[in-house]
Amino acid sequence: MTAVRDLTWRIAPGQRLVFEDMDDGVLLYDSLVGRTHLLNATAAETLTVLERNPGLTSDAIRRHVTEALDLPVDALPLSAVEELLDWFERLGILVAR
Amino acid sequence: MNLADLPAHAVHRRLAGEGLLLHIPPIAVRIRSPMRAFAEQLRTMYSAYEIAEAGTFADIDVRIIPKRSKRLRPLACFIVDGVSPFDPFPRDHALPLLEWGVNWVFAQRMHQYLLLHAAVVERDGAAVLLPAWPGSGKSTLAASLACRGWRYLSDEFGVVVPSTLSVLPFPRPAALKNESIDVMRSFAPDAFIGPIFPKTRKGSVAHLRVPSPSVRRARDPARITAVFFPDFQAGAPVSVRPLSQSTAFLKLAHNAFNYEMLGETAFRTVAAIVRAVPCRIIRYGDLEAAHLQIEILMKEPAHAPA
Repeated sequence: MTAVRDLTWRIAPGQRLVFEDMDDGVLLYDSLVGRTHLLNATAAETLTVLERNPGLTSDAIRRHVTEALDLPVDALPLSAVEELLDWFERLGILVAR
Repeated sequence: MNLADLPAHAVHRRLAGEGLLLHIPPIAVRIRSPMRAFAEQLRTMYSAYEIAEAGTFADIDVRIIPKRSKRLRPLACFIVDGVSPFDPFPRDHALPLLEWGVNWVFAQRMHQYLLLHAAVVERDGAAVLLPAWPGSGKSTLAASLACRGWRYLSDEFGVVVPSTLSVLPFPRPAALKNESIDVMRSFAPDAFIGPIFPKTRKGSVAHLRVPSPSVRRARDPARITAVFFPDFQAGAPVSVRPLSQSTAFLKLAHNAFNYEMLGETAFRTVAAIVRAVPCRIIRYGDLEAAHLQIEILMKEPAHAPA
């Protein structure tokens, strides 16, 4: 059985994400199901990272995201990243392997 | 030819026969009805609208017909393309029935546009969206602005051309409800307000006739330069609250008639609007204060048309 932290993450097959930057967040349009989501910077960057680099573990995603947002890596707890990934998986935006 | 150019008996004859085709841009509506009282009301409220020959294409074909009932008061049915989509109204409420029915059909079908639930007015090339759910005062505010020189585009639909900031007029009589009727009568004594229809599903309703200059410009689009969410609260002092772009987006998208139907097109169009123009909530307790506030806001450079 694969441990949670060994899972690799990618955008769900067939998914096409559309982003629109707002002055206080990022809007995401999930084109598979036609739903709109308001994301904070961490969530938006997580999806952007996985669009560019599919197949990352949660820890690698954490490092990419903090680097992109110019934050120290411990500013973003791994548990928060995992919770976020789990939320995106429930929405059908990400899949884990 | 305008509807007012036809004598009353000719309007009735046409309605009772091949139908009367009214241009209510951006659509043409063919209306048929044998009811003489309805013909008179229609002629009064739509006097400045162009009519077309019977063979012209109609986007919507509706009939208002009497329904016989031995036990109930006389009723009237709204029929579109042969189907009656909702319960009949009392027969003497035929005009509100037409207005309600045409709104319903428009919202169900005109998916080439993003349809926001909003009143729209324009002045000096600057269109203002007034999006709100029923009861927020958007019809009354739009009607009052129309009586003070603003061009009236709609009290119900912000008809937005997708991927643009262009909004089309769909000028129909403004539906004033309950206390708003007397408010408008005192605010604009010269405005033409039709008969009061009591005990409709929304209480008493009367219609403000669209000012003729707005009807004459019913084919002219306007550019959205502001989004003001009206929030009428009796007795409240006027106040303005700026909205973040994402909050404005969610409020606009939530009150669109066909956001989900248009999908990504609607998403991008609403995003373009909230990024391009200031979005605010205007709370007010009386129309004069609201007008004054809107005048002040519209002088800001951010609201200037491009």
